[in-house]
Amino acid sequence: MSVAPSAASLADRPGGSGSAGAPADQTDAATAMTPTFRAFVRRRRIWIVFAAVLVLGAVVALAIQGGVRPPGMTLGADNPAPLGAMALVEVLRDHGVSVTESRSLDSAVDAADRGATVLLYDEFALLDESRLDRLAGVAQRLVVVEPGFAALEALAPGVRLAGVASGPIDDVACELPAAERAGGLGDGQRLLTVDDDARAAGWQGCFRDEEFGFALVSGEGDDDGQVTLVAATTVFANESIDEAGNAALAIGLTGASDELVWYLPGPGDVDANAAPTIAELTPGWVSPVMVLLIAVVIAAGIWRGRRFGPLVTENLPVHVPAGETSEGRARLYARSAARVRALDQLRIGAIGRIVEALKLPRSAELGAVTDAAARATGRDEASVRRLLVDAEPGGDRDLVELAAELDVLEHDVRDTLRPRSAGRAGHTDPADSTDSTDPTGPAGRRP
Amino acid sequence: MTISGRFALLLALGVVPVVAAGISGAAEAWIALAGWLTLALGAGVLDVSLAASPRRVALGRELPDRVRLGETVTAELTVRNLGGRMLRATVRDGWEPSAGLAGPNRTPLLVPPGERRRMTLQLTPWRRGDRRVAQVTVRSAGPLGLWSRQATLAAPGRIRVLPPFHSRVHLPSRLTRLRELDGRTPLLIRGQGTEFDSIREYVRGDDVRSIDWRATARHADPEVPGGMRLMVRTWRPERDRRIVIVADTSRTAAARIADEPRLDTAFEASLLLAALASHAGDRVDFLAWDRRLRGRVHGASGPELLARMVDTMAGIDAELIEADWSSVPGQVRRVTSRRALVVLLTAADSPGSSRGLLSMLPQLTSRHTVIVASVTDPALVEAGGARGDLEEVYRAAAAERGLIDTARVAAAIRRLGALTVSAPPHELPPALADRYLDLKASGQL
Repeated sequence: MSVAPSAASLADRPGGSGSAGAPADQTDAATAMTPTFRAFVRRRRIWIVFAAVLVLGAVVALAIQGGVRPPGMTLGADNPAPLGAMALVEVLRDHGVSVTESRSLDSAVDAADRGATVLLYDEFALLDESRLDRLAGVAQRLVVVEPGFAALEALAPGVRLAGVASGPIDDVACELPAAERAGGLGDGQRLLTVDDDARAAGWQGCFRDEEFGFALVSGEGDDDGQVTLVAATTVFANESIDEAGNAALAIGLTGASDELVWYLPGPGDVDANAAPTIAELTPGWVSPVMVLLIAVVIAAGIWRGRRFGPLVTENLPVHVPAGETSEGRARLYARSAARVRALDQLRIGAIGRIVEALKLPRSAELGAVTDAAARATGRDEASVRRLLVDAEPGGDRDLVELAAELDVLEHDVRDTLRPRSAGRAGHTDPADSTDSTDPTGPAGRRP
Repeated sequence: MTISGRFALLLALGVVPVVAAGISGAAEAWIALAGWLTLALGAGVLDVSLAASPRRVALGRELPDRVRLGETVTAELTVRNLGGRMLRATVRDGWEPSAGLAGPNRTPLLVPPGERRRMTLQLTPWRRGDRRVAQVTVRSAGPLGLWSRQATLAAPGRIRVLPPFHSRVHLPSRLTRLRELDGRTPLLIRGQGTEFDSIREYVRGDDVRSIDWRATARHADPEVPGGMRLMVRTWRPERDRRIVIVADTSRTAAARIADEPRLDTAFEASLLLAALASHAGDRVDFLAWDRRLRGRVHGASGPELLARMVDTMAGIDAELIEADWSSVPGQVRRVTSRRALVVLLTAADSPGSSRGLLSMLPQLTSRHTVIVASVTDPALVEAGGARGDLEEVYRAAAAERGLIDTARVAAAIRRLGALTVSAPPHELPPALADRYLDLKASGQL
């Protein structure tokens, strides 16, 4: 049977078979509860204006501030942020060193050709070995900050990364003038080690952190240029340049000549012959299809998520489960371990039912009840009295046992009143007597 | 405004041209994407601009006035298109959930301009009271079925759902007992308070004690000369007694016992008693009371009595307030000044909550015969017998405590001169009817 709503055509009958009210109603359009677009705008005018003001304010504020400022580059020469290096660059400029910012290898090499000191900080390891060699070949003085693995391999074979220093370093351990002037470095240094081959090749470490390594390693490159490797950026960064001898070392390393090239490799220095990117590997239609799929998902979301009219509310009546009171009382008994009280309730109930079953008067005394129950069940009167009156449960196990015994007693009393059980008792009696009076019976059957 | 699955599918089909264009290059793919999106959006806008207005619609309802709880009715809604375009509508009728609407409630309708169409819905309400509907939502699709317009229109309606009166299955057997009382069957029951009705000939089965020897002596048997016909007196029970049923609608009536609120059980019992008593020729009045009069049926008789009672009961639900018993004698006095049978349908299960009832009872029992009918919880008896582990023992103890309390309250009620009837929910209506018949047979009304 179909229970789905069905639509039926209704001919325009003049009389109208429906109820009297329906045909009259049919001439007027029903009142719409959904506001029209215009009414919606009018009703929400304040909020729309409010939102427009907010958006406008945000746009104006953005325009005044000059757009979104990117978070400056680490050790950027014009970056005043904690990780920038504007402090050092400004000090050098004040002292007559002309600092040139460079984002490409060619301009850095040009300047190095003129005899400028080059500071190289290759944060993303963009330079490959040949480019590093080219730079090291022309630079008279090259300061490499936080060299990566590839840079060390290219510039200073035998010098290796050795982790992080344990704290400030004040053991200069070398005769480099800049290092001696500095005398010590602040916290946050990284370390390099120099192996025997490198030491033989002229590399020496400064600022030793016990036996772990050196914060600075200097030596001569392949083409007689002076190469200094500073393992951490903290020596140059704005936030830590004022610690210990950081400033002295930084100025000593970078201010040795009149001209300094502040070289942070840019995108132009990437090797164009590197592996193709994902964008190059995928066909051209993948990105448009993904955009299209996003549009489809949004459309499908609207299709499934648009509500078919407002929710219908319903006032529900109050209904309280009646067992709550009893359950609550049971939990109260359990929480306060009211064993005697709980058992007493069971006893009162059981006595009431026994009185009813044995047809005793309602006013019967307790003694009479226990007596009658004992006689009816054939039990010892004292045990029945103990069960119904005297016994106190010592623990939870006692309570459960007594409760079960009470139940058994009650059933026994009821059973004895049934004629069937009385007949069965009469039947078993002779069997018992034959067993007891004829001891030879079993013995005779024994083989 | 909304969009259909067809539009989402149309958008998804754009994969074909985009990939086809993408084979020759990425730029072409982007152009194809932009073109397809424009095409789809343009088709959608065109579609929605051609859709009929869902507001220019007239609605008419045809609803049955009343339905008994559990029965199914057909609700009809006619939709007339007042606009000039074909209305391709999907209609949702905004019934309350408890109206029990069958099916998905999304009816497709195709209404040409100026015509009307009728849709039918099957309703099986699952809650007593007035089930209402306030609105109809019409979604009007364009000719392509891509985008549609949607509006919710006011279309109020109401179905009154009456109490089910399940206990009417007990009525025939009780009516048979009533007829036995009434002397219409050969077997006669004689008792105090019954009225002398007539004298007729003895038939086998009559009580020999009811033979009227003087009448027998006067009736000679014409067929047997000198013989006598045995004549017996017949009796009939009293008629035209007043019965006032007071249903307590306070917080205790909200309790749900064996999946039926006390109030519903009280209504069932009231209906059975009223049906029986009106057959027996007694006059029944019904009051629903907590702190104020929630409903009252007065002065109705015959079939009208039951119709008015179910109508009054339909809208009454229990409220979370304490009953004001002290005003009940006054309410009963306003119904009748004569001696009456007053039936109080309430919960008498703890001395604390029954204090108001107990302090009021003497005022009623001094003038009327009073029955206090209450529902017992079968779950309590069940819990009292389960003693497997510690938790069950404590639960059994609490249940016993509840049963003892109920017994104490019942004893107190009996001491105050009222009668008590208590039974599990499904047995209370017949138990109350039986008690009424007992009273009638013994002439205590």
